[in-house]
Amino acid sequence: MVNIKEYTHLMKAAIEDFRRNKVRTALTSLGIMIGVMSVVLLIALGLGLKNYIEDQFNSMGANLVMIMPGSGISGGTGAGMVGGAEFDERDVNSLIRIPNVKYVIPVFFKAAGVEAGGEKKNSYIMGVNEDYFRLMNKELIGGEEFTKSDVAAGTKVTVLGYALADNLFENPTDAVGKTVRLENLRVKVIGVMEKTGDNEGDNAVILPYKATYGSLNPKKTFWSLYIGVESKDQVTNVKEGVEETLLKRYKEDDFSVTDQTDLLSTVNQIFNIVNSVLIAIGSISLLVGGIGIMNIMYATVTERTKEVGIRRAVGATQRDILLQFLTESLILSVFGGVLGLIFASLIVLVVRIFFPAAINLLSVLITFGISSAIGVFFGVFPARRAARLTPIEAIRYE
Amino acid sequence: MFYMIKLENVFKSYILGDEEVVAVKDVSLTIKEKEFIGIMGTSGSGKSTLMHLIGLLEQPSKGKIYLDGKDISKLTDNELSKIRNKTVGFVFQSFNLINRFTVFENILLPTKYSKELLKFDPKAKAEDLLKRFGIYERRNFFPNKISGGQQQRVAIVRALIMGPKIILADEPTGNLDSKTGEEILDILGNLNREFGVTVILVTHEHDIAAKTKRQIYIKDGQLVERYL
Repeated sequence: MVNIKEYTHLMKAAIEDFRRNKVRTALTSLGIMIGVMSVVLLIALGLGLKNYIEDQFNSMGANLVMIMPGSGISGGTGAGMVGGAEFDERDVNSLIRIPNVKYVIPVFFKAAGVEAGGEKKNSYIMGVNEDYFRLMNKELIGGEEFTKSDVAAGTKVTVLGYALADNLFENPTDAVGKTVRLENLRVKVIGVMEKTGDNEGDNAVILPYKATYGSLNPKKTFWSLYIGVESKDQVTNVKEGVEETLLKRYKEDDFSVTDQTDLLSTVNQIFNIVNSVLIAIGSISLLVGGIGIMNIMYATVTERTKEVGIRRAVGATQRDILLQFLTESLILSVFGGVLGLIFASLIVLVVRIFFPAAINLLSVLITFGISSAIGVFFGVFPARRAARLTPIEAIRYE
Repeated sequence: MFYMIKLENVFKSYILGDEEVVAVKDVSLTIKEKEFIGIMGTSGSGKSTLMHLIGLLEQPSKGKIYLDGKDISKLTDNELSKIRNKTVGFVFQSFNLINRFTVFENILLPTKYSKELLKFDPKAKAEDLLKRFGIYERRNFFPNKISGGQQQRVAIVRALIMGPKIILADEPTGNLDSKTGEEILDILGNLNREFGVTVILVTHEHDIAAKTKRQIYIKDGQLVERYL
């Protein structure tokens, strides 16, 4: 039965002591401060990275269903160019008939070199249709997109990614109107995309999929198919429809149908693991800080042995003494924890200029939880030593 | 209840290395309410141990101690602490004030450990006692900034703040010059006379013990008829 009055007295006494020993208090709390700061920062950066990736996914639209060969990303087995179904125009035509499907984008994907004016750069060929630009949700910085009739006719035109255009030409917008060569294929640049921030998008050679038929894509197949759904709520229904349609032609293991939430949950799983490992590493500094507190508390107990004796003589119980020292270590570590949180917040404020790092309620709660747990855990051993001193031995101690 | 303290065949021994040292040997003693008694003995005679036993700072190895009607040999730490807080006040040779607290804070210390609601205002009572013992002006000083006599008065006020029935004074004049010592002894005598507090004075000096109304002598842990 700790009554409030008794406890406020203990707190006041402890804080008074810290004011008398400012340097020692500051140094002891420093350990916890650094520990809490590193843990909170790691959580904040992890959260930021997660937010960043979620934003990237969302910029591609939440109404997207992706069809890949193989049993899929979330299935864990090798998704990619090897094995599984090879989609073609027949699939595009049958998928577009599914209710609530807004568009189907066939994606032919190949890494290839691209040449212009003697310069050769690595690029990613994307054979798609005009709906790809709607999916990307990005603007052109020059020129124009290719049209439905370009796609139907297989016109040899392309829109280049920003970095690629910048590398091949003096100004990225200079690319418009020039001709580039992809292996044996010569295509005319009609537009340049704005920066997308990812390597594949910025180094893309986007062209009508029919233009790739020939030496680039002799089998006239696609690596994957992107389906735009009219609204988010229909994604599940459309996925079912897609599976039904494709199962008429392919075996179950030959393709996978995923949407953004599936991908996100996979990414989130990975992040949770990485984050836990980072936090575990950060916690080592918390442990060291806790040992620092224990050390100081042992010194304090020795220093105050006589005082413990005096207090016992005037009526303090073992529990009173235990609580007194426990309160001190608790305040020391919570004080360190709060300082750590403040410093971490300041750093996060600066980092936010570049990166969406975030401190959430959880990190605040963890801070208080962990730092008080450390205070109690590492304080209890010295405090018990103090409480178990016999009054007479303590009072005779010089 | 005609006695305040009663010891029945009390033994206290310690283990020192692998040897058992008997500090108090078969002591039986009755101290009445409102007595002013002196316990005399040389250093190492066991007089301090006897005082610690009476003051509940230690438990006897054997035998029974009754304090204010209660058998204290079977009490828990909490119960012993409560009696020390409420019933017993200590005055030590080396004052035993906490140097990082002011005089006033030292005096209020026992009130912080009271497990019952106090029937008085601690600050008002402390101020009143400080004035009565002429150290009110020193209340915000730290103990090491005032004289020995003043420190011992502070210790006496601290012992009195909870309104104890017994004051245990262990060589209270040992660190003081004889004039100041006299003053402290007068204060203790007054406490007994005016407040009706049982005062137990432990000393090795005959003329100090002579101030008390009854003297008992202890030698090698045992009570003796006369101190030699």
